[in-house]
Amino acid sequence: MYCIETHDLCYRFSKEQSILNRINLQVPTGSIFGFLGPNGAGKTTTLRLLLGLLKKQDGSISIFGKDLAKNRINILRNTGSMIESPSLYGHLSATENLQIQQVMYQCAPSRISEVLEIVGLSHTGRKKTAQFSLGMKQRLSIAIALLHNPSLLILDEPTNGLDPNGIIEIRELLKKINAEQQITMVISSHLLSEIEKLVTHIGIINKGELLFQGTLSQLQTRQNLNAGFLFRTNNNAKALTIIMNNGWEATEQNEFLYLPTTDDLAIASLNRQMVQAGIEVYRMVQQQNDLESIFINLVK
Amino acid sequence: MNFLYCFKAEWIKKRRSLAAWLVIIGGFFTPAIITCAAIYRSEATRKALLKPDFWNKHWLASWDTIAMFLLPMGVILATSLVTQVEFKNNTWKQLHTTPQSYTRLFLAKLAVILTMLLQFLVIFSVGTYLSGILPSLIISNASWPTGAIPYQKIFSDSVFFFVDCLPIVAIQFLLSLQFKNFLVPVGGGMALWITSMVSLSWKYSYLVPFSQGALFYLKTSGRISKDLPVHEVALLYFTVITGISYILYITKKEKG
Repeated sequence: MYCIETHDLCYRFSKEQSILNRINLQVPTGSIFGFLGPNGAGKTTTLRLLLGLLKKQDGSISIFGKDLAKNRINILRNTGSMIESPSLYGHLSATENLQIQQVMYQCAPSRISEVLEIVGLSHTGRKKTAQFSLGMKQRLSIAIALLHNPSLLILDEPTNGLDPNGIIEIRELLKKINAEQQITMVISSHLLSEIEKLVTHIGIINKGELLFQGTLSQLQTRQNLNAGFLFRTNNNAKALTIIMNNGWEATEQNEFLYLPTTDDLAIASLNRQMVQAGIEVYRMVQQQNDLESIFINLVK
Repeated sequence: MNFLYCFKAEWIKKRRSLAAWLVIIGGFFTPAIITCAAIYRSEATRKALLKPDFWNKHWLASWDTIAMFLLPMGVILATSLVTQVEFKNNTWKQLHTTPQSYTRLFLAKLAVILTMLLQFLVIFSVGTYLSGILPSLIISNASWPTGAIPYQKIFSDSVFFFVDCLPIVAIQFLLSLQFKNFLVPVGGGMALWITSMVSLSWKYSYLVPFSQGALFYLKTSGRISKDLPVHEVALLYFTVITGISYILYITKKEKG
């Protein structure tokens, strides 16, 4: 069951400038979905479309199994969000900012102190939010998103501008909320390292195209298929013959020979044969297979 | 009920804001000046307090600067400040992801501005009353105002001034919803106000937006004799411009 499903979602600012191209996003219910892509990839545009902040041009958006265009208000009643920078009334205190939302969502006034406690801002009193640090503003924005006990949380770069400690705090907070309340979360980021410890599912977008979506392990499996070794020698042609004589298929990549295996014995044997054949092996490099390199390879 | 929730939320937003202070300070500003002037010119004040039409003249004198200058300026600023609070704080996106219809959000914001205008008129009326009685308490040998307070006139004038301010509210509201830059609605409002002042002697001046309040004051103070349909024009402008504003607001492609 998917909490969010888009079908052929497209968006363009002008005829020439396409921002999203046939995005088919599927966010499973209860998951923490990391929406990843470099700056300008189309993440924020997608999230703004999901929240109805941008008028949909082509395709369809379904949230909680309902069409967003026809059920916007009902869907928003169960959705909490934070898009880009925090949206706070600077001349008001944290409590007053939350009061505005409490009135809008008609939730219990006691929730205000509860969410302030959750995000660690109970001590701020009458201090105006304009005087808050960026980290405090981010946490208050998360509190606003959580205020009405939503079933879906859409957070656009929630750790932007936070120090490493703040990033860890927010990550732990989101994990806890997901575990305790089974809230589906969509969290966008341009840094995989920032969210890989948090998410259960991942979607990678670049230049308006959804390049991958699935579980983290599916992404790792995909990368393992591409794992291999790179050889750089003084005679790649001769080295290639040796590799092929051993039953492997290698390809030339710039000055390297790429061998699609990470088998230690095979690599050692090939190296020995090359040296014995008088080939000077300058470099043997294992192709990176951490998530960051998968991401970089995908968006390259 | 949902509209009341939206209204309440909008009302919270104006707490401690410049617009809220503008209403209170603006409402008491002219009465305070008049009180000081009355105390300074104590001899003239003593005589004026004895006249049976004291309250009538005092009421008109209080409106003198307000009707032509301070009220339009205050409405221009307050409407722009209340509406632009979302641009200033980058909160349109937060507001538009609350489970409220765009119509409700639009009307709640407008209702807050109109309520603030009413608030101003009430504060101003109270201030005018205080500025009428304070000199008699402060100046030695001054009597209490003897004439009857023209409640009916105060009420009807206040209602007409409220109606005549509606085109200013509608135009400022439209501009402030459309333009992120605060200078656009304020500059546009100032330009329209100057145009309306310049055109006051023109025979069709009542058709110029922003001129209705000034024309009503000139009529009620006896400075012009011709009956002009200023209130009808004000209501027409308000209805048409608010309608356009609403259409532009709900059809906006980007909602934050």
